Amino acid sequence: MNNLMSYQVSDRLPIKVWAPNHLQIRQYSEVSGDFNPIHLDDNYAIRAGLGGVIAHGMLTMAHMAAMLTEWIGQEGNIVMLSVRFEQMVRPGNKITFYGIISERVEKTLVCNLEARNENEEKVISGLAKISINN
Amino acid sequence: MIGKELIGRQSESVVLKIEHEEVCRFAETLEIQFDDRVPATFVETLTRADIPGFKMLPGMIHGEQKFTYHRPLLIGDILSYKLCIKDVYERTTKLGKVTFFVIETTGINLTGEQVFTISSTFFAPTKETANE
Repeated sequence: MNNLMSYQVSDRLPIKVWAPNHLQIRQYSEVSGDFNPIHLDDNYAIRAGLGGVIAHGMLTMAHMAAMLTEWIGQEGNIVMLSVRFEQMVRPGNKITFYGIISERVEKTLVCNLEARNENEEKVISGLAKISINN
Repeated sequence: MIGKELIGRQSESVVLKIEHEEVCRFAETLEIQFDDRVPATFVETLTRADIPGFKMLPGMIHGEQKFTYHRPLLIGDILSYKLCIKDVYERTTKLGKVTFFVIETTGINLTGEQVFTISSTFFAPTKETANE
């Protein structure tokens, strides 16, 4: 179904949807060891001017990476993944990940990536390089 | 005042092992597909060495993140990694004066080949940093 070799410039990647919640954010703190209170303590996050707890950028990025691995399956590897965190992600958001092939050089695919919330605001922009296995 | 003197400071080299159980737990927590390959961002959760004189402040915001794999990272791999402050700079943004810290983490395998490079950019309002 994937057949990475058939992907060409301007082809779109399969979309992934993710709904962050408080429990996932707490669990990500535990698995990552990042206990920054801006992710865990609403009162702290409000005092810090964030309006409430926010998801770890790395949690959102991990889901962006998962979108790629679900798409490439065993046919390739992520050799580079770069993101800019554009806007905060909060519990209750609905995040949709998108990607499009921007360049193809032999067995390397370059993908422009982004994630948007339910208000169509961009929360992450990114770039990935995928090497296609022989 | 913004900490330019921190540029070039490094952590000690620390050894880590990519354990199946930990990778599995990471994937389960995220409810993502796990096919015995190491998720691209997993290794960041293991690279927490201290850099002398530098401390992540609770209010710091994560701005950018980049992973580069020079060769595949596999379960069972034993690596050593080191963190280094690559840059510290100040910009005026809509939040006012903000200090950016660019931290690079490099991982090498037992034969000395580079496996990954991670670049992380964090920022915090300059005043807050100066007051800490």
